[in-house]
Amino acid sequence: MKQLEIDAELKKAGAHAKGRFGELRFLARRYLLGTIGLVIMIMFILTALFAEWIAPFDPLTVNAKQALAAPGALHWLGADSFGRDVFSRIVYGTRISMAVGIGSMLLGSSLGVVIGLTSGYLGGWVDLVFQRLVDILQALPLLVLALVMAAALGPSLQNTILAIAIPLVPTVARVIRANTLTLRELPFVEAAKAAGMSETRIALRHVLPNTLAPLIVLATAQFGSAILTEASLSFLGLGIPEPHPSWGRMLSESAAEYVRTAPWLVIFPGLAISLIVFGTNLLGDALRDILDPRQRT
Amino acid sequence: MLSYLVQRLFLMLVTLFGISLVIFALLRIVPGNIVDVLFDAAGFVDPAEKIKIEKDLGLDQPIVVQYATWIGGLLRGDLGFSYVSEKPALAEILPRIPITARLAGLALLFAVSLGVPLGVVSAVKQNTRLDYFLRVVSLAGLSLPAFWLGLLILMASVALFGTIPIYNAAPKSMWDSFVMYAVPAAAVGLRSSALIMRLTRSSMLEVLRQDYIRTARSKGASERSINYSHALKNAILPIVTIIGVEAAFLIGGLIVTETVFNIPGVARFLVEAIRWRDYPIVQNLVMFIAVVVVVVNFVVDLLYAALDPRIKLGA
Amino acid sequence: MSGSQARTRAAISIAVALAATAGLASPVLAQKQGGTLKLYQRDSPASASIHEEATYSNNVPFMPIFNNLVVFKQDAPQNTVETIVPDLATSWAWSDDKTKLVFKLREGVTWHDGKPFTSADVKCTFDMLMGKGTNKFRKNPRKSWYDNVSDVTVNGDTEATFNLKRPQPALISLLASGYTPVYPCHMSAADMRTKPVGTGPFKFVEFKANESIKLVRNPNYWKPGRPYLDGIDLPIIANRSTAMLGFIAGQIDMTFPTEVTVALLKDIKGQAPQAICKFEPSNVSTNLIVNRDAPPFDNINIRRAMALAMDRKSFISILFEGQADEGGALLPPPAGIWGMPKDQLETVAGYGPDVKKNRDEARKLIEAAGYSADKRLKVKVSTRNIPTYRDPAVILIDQLKDIYIDGELDVVETANWFSKVARKDYMIGLNLTGNAVDDPDQSFYENFACGSERNYTNYCNKELEKEFDLQSQETDPAKRKVMAWAIDKKLQDDVARPVIYHSRLGTCWQPKVKGVTVMVNSSYNGYRYEDVWLDQ
Repeated sequence: MKQLEIDAELKKAGAHAKGRFGELRFLARRYLLGTIGLVIMIMFILTALFAEWIAPFDPLTVNAKQALAAPGALHWLGADSFGRDVFSRIVYGTRISMAVGIGSMLLGSSLGVVIGLTSGYLGGWVDLVFQRLVDILQALPLLVLALVMAAALGPSLQNTILAIAIPLVPTVARVIRANTLTLRELPFVEAAKAAGMSETRIALRHVLPNTLAPLIVLATAQFGSAILTEASLSFLGLGIPEPHPSWGRMLSESAAEYVRTAPWLVIFPGLAISLIVFGTNLLGDALRDILDPRQRT
Repeated sequence: MLSYLVQRLFLMLVTLFGISLVIFALLRIVPGNIVDVLFDAAGFVDPAEKIKIEKDLGLDQPIVVQYATWIGGLLRGDLGFSYVSEKPALAEILPRIPITARLAGLALLFAVSLGVPLGVVSAVKQNTRLDYFLRVVSLAGLSLPAFWLGLLILMASVALFGTIPIYNAAPKSMWDSFVMYAVPAAAVGLRSSALIMRLTRSSMLEVLRQDYIRTARSKGASERSINYSHALKNAILPIVTIIGVEAAFLIGGLIVTETVFNIPGVARFLVEAIRWRDYPIVQNLVMFIAVVVVVVNFVVDLLYAALDPRIKLGA
Repeated sequence: MSGSQARTRAAISIAVALAATAGLASPVLAQKQGGTLKLYQRDSPASASIHEEATYSNNVPFMPIFNNLVVFKQDAPQNTVETIVPDLATSWAWSDDKTKLVFKLREGVTWHDGKPFTSADVKCTFDMLMGKGTNKFRKNPRKSWYDNVSDVTVNGDTEATFNLKRPQPALISLLASGYTPVYPCHMSAADMRTKPVGTGPFKFVEFKANESIKLVRNPNYWKPGRPYLDGIDLPIIANRSTAMLGFIAGQIDMTFPTEVTVALLKDIKGQAPQAICKFEPSNVSTNLIVNRDAPPFDNINIRRAMALAMDRKSFISILFEGQADEGGALLPPPAGIWGMPKDQLETVAGYGPDVKKNRDEARKLIEAAGYSADKRLKVKVSTRNIPTYRDPAVILIDQLKDIYIDGELDVVETANWFSKVARKDYMIGLNLTGNAVDDPDQSFYENFACGSERNYTNYCNKELEKEFDLQSQETDPAKRKVMAWAIDKKLQDDVARPVIYHSRLGTCWQPKVKGVTVMVNSSYNGYRYEDVWLDQ
C-alpha cells in the first residue's frame, strides 16, 4: 500500500525519476518539510547513539570552578550550578527523550493495536467492554492521567514510560478499530475466511498490515506527545529523577532559580525539546500526506 | 432522538463510574500515604500516632468501604474533607474553579481569535508562500512545551518591563486583573491557537472541495463571497468540534502554566494535592475534570447535530 | 563681646544646629503606625499549628499570632541566655537546687477571642507537649524537649512552675524559642491547626493552602503601642525565581527569611540595589545519615574513609561561593555559641586543609576493606526530592568517585522519605538538620540520644549519653562549653552523622521596611514582627 501510494504520487507529479536514488530525491523535493523533519530526527537519533563521542564532558561530573559559567569556548551552551556542561547534558538527555518517546510510543501503540484489532474484529461484548475502557481513558486529559499514574508508580525511567504509554492507548485503539471494521467487510478478508484461515491468522496476516498506514502516522504524533508529556512531568517533579539529565528536569531546576541569572539554563533544554518535537511534527505531517491521502492537507 | 440521549447519558455514567474506579485504585497503589507526608514537616514518623491518624482519616478501612464512602458522599454532594487543610474538599475546590475558568476562557478566546482567521487564510491561499509559512509556524507552535513558553514569556516580560504579573487575589483595577490573567492565558492559548489553525485549515479545504462550492464558483460568485460566506459557514461545524476537543487539551497547558505563573487555580491544585497524597482532593478533582470533558463532548455532539441538519443523532 | 565669648557662642550655635539636625532626623526614625507588610511565604504549611510541625515554614507566618512565656529578644541577632526577655511571664526564678523554674504571669492579657489568659493555659500547653491530658496533638515533634520535666503546676491564675527531674539550665532557652508558643486551653488541637488563636500582636485572618496567609493587627495587644503594622500578607509563592522577580519589581516588601541564595543575592544587588540584604548562618546543617547497621557502612573504616574523602571547601564553594561554615554538630563560632573553635575542629578526621592527604588516607582505609580501582564499592545515596537536599548529594557522589565508591543517587519523594529512613532502607542519606535553639541539649538529645525520634540512624552510645547528661546539668557556661566541644568531637570521629557544612542564607527587604532583625544562630525564633514598621 505504501509503495503503491508513492508510485501514484510519482506518476501524478509526472516525475521521470529513475531508480531508488531518483525516487528519494523526488520525494525529498516534493515533501521538503518532511525531509527537514526526517533530518532533524536522524540527527537526534545519532546524537543518542553516539552521545559518548559527541559530548565533550561527562554529563554528571561536577566542577566547582565552572559553576554557572556563561556559554563560551569551553562550555558551548554554558554550565549549570554544579559546573556540569549543559551541552553534554543535553546530548545525553537525548537518550532519555528517545527512550521515553520510543518506549511510550511502542508500548502505547501495541496495546492500542491489540485492543483496537480485537475489538473491531471480534465485535460483540468484547468490543463493548474495550470501548468503555477506551472511553474511560479518553475522558481524562493526557497530562492528568499521566500525572496520577506517575505519582502512583513512583519516579523512574520505566515508570515514566508506562505512565505516558497508557494514556496514548485510546487514540490508537479507536483508529485501528475503525479501520478493522471497514476491512472486515472487504472481499479479500471474506475470501480468506472462505479459504478456511483461522480468525487470528486473518487478523494478523490481512487486517493488521492494512492498518499500518494510519498507525505509522499516529505513532509519529504520539512520539512527539510522549516527549512533551515527559518534559511536563519532569518539570512538575514527577518524571525522571536526578541525576539523569532529562530535559524537563533540567528546566524545572533552572526555572526555579535561574530565569534571570543564567537564562541559558532555561533556553537550551527548552530548545532541544521544541526541536525534536518540531522534527517529529514535520515528519508526521509528511507521512500523513504520503500514507493517508484521505487526511491530506 | 430521546432514546439516543438516554443512551448517551447512560454511557456517560458508565464512563464516569469507570474513571472513579481507575483513579481510586491508582491512588491506593501510590507508595506512601498522607500520614507520611503530614509527618514530613515534623521530621519523623511516630508509628503509634500514624496508626491513630490513619484511623481518624478512615484509611484503615477496607478499600471497598473507603470507595463506597467516597462515592456515597459524592452522590449526596459531600466530597469529604481535605486531609491537609481539614476543610471540606468542596470549600477547597470551589473557590479555585473561577480562577482557572477565567484563565481557560481567555486562553480559548485568544486561541480562537488567532487560530480561526489564520486557518482560513491559510486554506484560501493554499500552497502559497503564506500558507507554507503559516503551516510551519503553527507546527512550531505546537512543538513548544507549554511551560517553556510560559518561562520565555516571563523572561521577556522581565527584559522588557522589568517586572512580571504576579497573581493577586484582589487586583486594584480591571486592567491589573486583565494583565494578570492575559499573560498566562496567552502562554496557554498560543499552543491551542496553533492546533485550531491547523484544524480550521483542513476543514476549510475539505469544504472548498465540495460540489456546492464548485457550483457557486461556476455560477460566477466572487472568490471572496465563496470563501467567506459559503465555505466558512460550513467549516464552522468542524471548528466547533475542535473547540470542544480543545477543552481537554487546554487542561494540560493550564496545569503547567498555573505552576509557572503561580496562579492558585484548580489545575495547579491537582499537582499539589497529588504531591500531598491528599486523596479526597485528587479523587474529586479528577472526577471534576472527567465530568467537564465528558459533558463538553456531549454538548459538542448536540451542537453539531443542531447546526447541521444532515446529521441525525442516533443514526 | 570678647573674641573668646564669640567663639563660645559660635560653638554653642553649631551645637544647637547639630542638635536641631538630629532633632529633624529623629522624626524620620520614629516608628510609624500602619501599613501592611507583604512577605512572601515559600511553601504551603501543612497546618497552622506551630507545635505540630518542625519547619520554620510554620514559625514565620504564625509566630506573630502568639506569645511565649519568655522569648529571645527580637532585636538581638544572637540568641543567648542573656537575651531571653519576659513575654507572657513577667519574671522567672530557679529554685536553689535548680529543679524548679517558677514563672510569674502577666495579668489582664486576653486571647484573640476575648477569653482571659491564665496559668491554666500554660499548664494545658505543656501537658499537651508532654503527651498528658485529653486534648492531644496529632503530631508532637518536640516531645523530647520536655523529657526532663516531670510536671507543670500552677499556683493561682498568675503563677506556673516547671518541676524538673534534674537540673537543666537549657530549659529556659527551649521555652524562649519561636517553637514554644502558649496555646489557649479552650481550643482543640484541631482548631489550632486551621484557625489558631493566640495572645500575640497579630490575629489570624485566613490561610488558603497554596495561595496566601493573612494576619491583621491585634488592637488589644497587651504591649502598648505594638504592633506597628496593620497586618501581614503572606502570598504563597513556591517558585523562588518568581518570588524574587516580584521582590525586585517592588511588589513584595520582604523575602521569606533565608530564601535568598548567593546567586539570587547577586541578582538582587544588581537589579534592586536599594534592597537591604543580610546573609547569615542559619543553624541548619547539611549532614549524612549513615546506616551503620548494614554492610558496607557497618565497617567503621569505610565510614571513616567516607568522612575523610569529603572536601568541604568544595561543597561550600560550589553551593555558597565560599559563604558557608565548616563545623561539627554544633554551629561554629562566631555566630554559634557552642561550636568547636577552628583549631580543635581541624583535629577531626577529614576537616584538615589537606584534601589530598585525607583522600590518600581514605583510599588506604577502603583498600583495607577490600576495594580498589578495579573492585569499586557501589552505594546508593538517598535523598529527598528537594534541591537543597539533592544538590549536595550530587557533589558528594562526585567526590566519592575518588575513593573507589560509585554512588548512585536515589531520589525519594517526600511522602516516602521518613518511612524509608525509619525502615533503615538506605545506605547513606543526605539530610538537613535545623537547630531551633543554639544549645547542646537540643542538638545532642534530639539527634544523637538513644531512642530519640529524630535520631534517624539510631546512633546509640550509652557512654557518650552520660556525657550529654553531665554537660546538660553543668551550670557554668564556660565549663559546659568545653564539655560540649569534647562530645561534638567524639561524635564526628565516630562518624555518627558527619556534618558537611552549616549553610548561610540570605533575607532581603525593601528600605521602607524597618525594624527587622535577622538572627544568626537560629532560623526559628525571630518572627514576632511586633517591632517591624513601614516607612511610607
